[in-house]
Amino acid sequence: MIRFRTVDLLVTVLIGAAFGVAFLGYGQLYTLIGPLTAAFKPAEGLLAGIWFLPAVLAALIVRKPGAALLAEMIAAVLSMLLGSQWGWGTAISGLMQGGGVELAFLAFRYRRFTLPVAVLGGMLSALLEWGWEKFAYYQEMSWTYSLVMLGFFLLSGALLCGVLGWAASRALAATGALDAMPAGRERAQRARAAAAAGRPAGSAGSAGPAGPAGPAGAPAEGMSRDDARA
Amino acid sequence: MTNLSLRGLTWHPYSRTEPTVLDLDLEIPAGQRVLLAGASGSGKSTVLRALAGLLDEEAGELTGSTPGPARPGERGLLLQNPVDALVAATVGREAAFGPENAALPREEIQARTTAALDAAMVDLPSGRAPLDASGGQQQRLALAGSLALDPSVLLLDEPTSMLDGDTAAAVRASILATAAGRTLVVAEHRLAPWLDHVDRLIVLGEQARIMADGPPHEIAAGLDHSPTVPVRPALLTQRDGEVIAALRGVAAERGGRPVLEDLDLELRGGELSVVTGPSGSGKTTLLRTLLGLTAPSAGSVERPSPEQVAFVPQNPAHSFVAASVREEVLASPWARDEQLADQLLERAGLSELGQANPHTLSGGEQRRLAIIAALAQDPRLLVLDEPTVGLDAARHLAVLELLDAARAEGCAVVAATHDPALIARSDVEHRLSGREAADGEADDSDEAGSTRPDRTIGPVPRARTIPADALNPLVLSLIGILAAIGSFAVQSWQGGLLALLPIVLLGPLAVRSFRGGLLRLTPILLSAAGLAWTTALLGDAPSLSGEAWLLGAKEAARITVFVAPGVLALGSVDPTALGDALGGRLRMPARMIAASVAGLVRAGHLGRQWEIITHARVLRGLGSRTSPRMLANATLALLVDALRGAQEQALAMDSRGFATATTRTWALPSRLRRADLLGVVIALGLAVWPLLAEVLVG
Repeated sequence: MIRFRTVDLLVTVLIGAAFGVAFLGYGQLYTLIGPLTAAFKPAEGLLAGIWFLPAVLAALIVRKPGAALLAEMIAAVLSMLLGSQWGWGTAISGLMQGGGVELAFLAFRYRRFTLPVAVLGGMLSALLEWGWEKFAYYQEMSWTYSLVMLGFFLLSGALLCGVLGWAASRALAATGALDAMPAGRERAQRARAAAAAGRPAGSAGSAGPAGPAGPAGAPAEGMSRDDARA
Repeated sequence: MTNLSLRGLTWHPYSRTEPTVLDLDLEIPAGQRVLLAGASGSGKSTVLRALAGLLDEEAGELTGSTPGPARPGERGLLLQNPVDALVAATVGREAAFGPENAALPREEIQARTTAALDAAMVDLPSGRAPLDASGGQQQRLALAGSLALDPSVLLLDEPTSMLDGDTAAAVRASILATAAGRTLVVAEHRLAPWLDHVDRLIVLGEQARIMADGPPHEIAAGLDHSPTVPVRPALLTQRDGEVIAALRGVAAERGGRPVLEDLDLELRGGELSVVTGPSGSGKTTLLRTLLGLTAPSAGSVERPSPEQVAFVPQNPAHSFVAASVREEVLASPWARDEQLADQLLERAGLSELGQANPHTLSGGEQRRLAIIAALAQDPRLLVLDEPTVGLDAARHLAVLELLDAARAEGCAVVAATHDPALIARSDVEHRLSGREAADGEADDSDEAGSTRPDRTIGPVPRARTIPADALNPLVLSLIGILAAIGSFAVQSWQGGLLALLPIVLLGPLAVRSFRGGLLRLTPILLSAAGLAWTTALLGDAPSLSGEAWLLGAKEAARITVFVAPGVLALGSVDPTALGDALGGRLRMPARMIAASVAGLVRAGHLGRQWEIITHARVLRGLGSRTSPRMLANATLALLVDALRGAQEQALAMDSRGFATATTRTWALPSRLRRADLLGVVIALGLAVWPLLAEVLVG
């Protein structure tokens, strides 16, 4: 069995919790496409992908089996406890969304953590979530419209979950917040290679340029380098 | 008791170009008290982590010998920011976390928790929420969390640097009292208060090279003392600056509790004002009122137009939006002067780092960046929350100089602070006394008084008890799940309406207040209405015909039957009790459940960070709180905050034996009582009732 370090567990859980909190602020997005969805409810599928983000981010960052599912379930349980309008349906959605992403990374045996796999994950989540919603919420919707809705779901899963999630994982790595994680290590190694090649380490920040270093010998003077948070 | 020893330790994190610790040899005999000094970045924190046996070989290259602890919790570790260490919803469960990991029996957990909370002098009853406590109480609570495992070594990483002077002294006293008979290693940059209490002072240089090691006073005397902060020569004798912002007769509340009353305050151009006062006295509320984030309940607020107001939050990273330092300075639409930006970067000593990602900067650099990004919009009013907290002397002076520069430009600068140096440098001090807050912790200890607070570990307290609270979370979950399954039997609008009947009858048993119930039910009813509309519009029946609407009504009823019981029942479930049930009763994997509870408990804290993050962006003129770009950007900032916190929290949890806690105990039993039998009957009833209802309506 793959062992989760404590930091793996906490990073996964906190990705879920942070999204659970951020999602509360996302309700407003639906008002943006309000005119569209009032006439044609399935257009809400266009935003479906954002709800799978915790799963794809956890998979890309933690890179261990089960991370996607756990992060998405935490986000789902948090919204349930806070009073999500879908009640226990939210838990099933969490399972579907986390499970879809999990399947994509499983298909590549947790060895590839690239954009195409993230996009596939987003689309699988979209497919499963659509299936669940069709069954639980939109039983009476005609199949024509249901399939149109599926199209929106897949598009959204690919873009808002897959592409956006992948971009977010890169942006997070650039902040140094993932340095203890495999996803951050790649950035760090690139920065180290760049530094070794004599270029300033760019996004490696204060880890790269030595700063206005004072004489290394004098303790009080040695303070000139700031503490970079590891 | 064993000696601590590091031999030939080299630690090269994968994220760094150079090792942070190079070939370090360090022996600390059992029982010794050691003070570890050195500039920020000299590797003090890493050395403490190495002594704790917590350097993670997946995060860097480790060579040399670092014998780990003999048992989990043998070496307690306290972090600079106690918030990072907190894992539980109540003070009692927080202190019990280590003993739970050690799989101790319940009576023993209670005994250890009581003793540890007493020893660390935690003034809070055990039902309080740690994340809502003051910094001083949080650090004592973190100490109690370590003490509960009876450590033979205490390793403390700048344990008082986030606290104001009096609170720091009190926490120091607690630490020293509990350190008797233990090995103590404290990393600090304020040495003086510790010198009398330690046996040995070690000064670290770059890469944790030992620069000096010996008797504390002797070594300290030999140190070239860090630059002293010059006090501004003379206070203004006459205040002639223009009034730029003012509070007049302002009263304000926080969480329904009045914190400010009849407050008058004028902020003038060219003046540095400080707002001081103990924790809970309303400093933050004052700043929020001044910035327009909190509406005053009485009085009036004058302030310049939004583009002339700039704000720097306590955690500077909360305001960051850009991918490079230079872009950060120019990020606000009100900061378009590139020349000014370059000057400011120069003045803050950040020119070299123009292309670096703001989040990769050190704490001191981040603080300066946030301040110059605020100054880049050439504000008339600059508002800062604790701008110097946690900085060492050199970093500290650099921040003060930036504030001086702003003042010289005619800006009105106001800072909430505990920092004596900043207060000494200010032109005007507004001291908030707080309501009965004389001891500095009044909002925490008001219930405790002079008697010893209640130490009994109990469930998370609730404002008001309702019948549903008598049920086990598992049974409450069962009610929701079975009712959802049962809802699929709804086939007609008549059957759907009848199926709603038991929910209407039982609902009041699960609603804590009328308003709360309404808050929970409104989204459900809106969704149901939405579904009715969609079904009537897009169903197989002709759009919006009578038949289509009846189908819609059926769907609305069905979905309400599907979700309402679950939503209502979940109102009585809290993460801690759910964790006890899943971990203690269902025996789900203990570490996953415990970590999940720790994450869910942080939701309220994360919500507060989210507020600060979005407000900081709005105040920088970066758009409304509902724009997609803002939401994306704020989410990223929240994730940075959460993920950095996760790494610190993992350390704190591992120092309390979590890494190996695959079989752990749960401080409270998850009981199934007689009421739960009734709950199961209700769950079964809700499962079959919709089917019966269909039969009844025929």
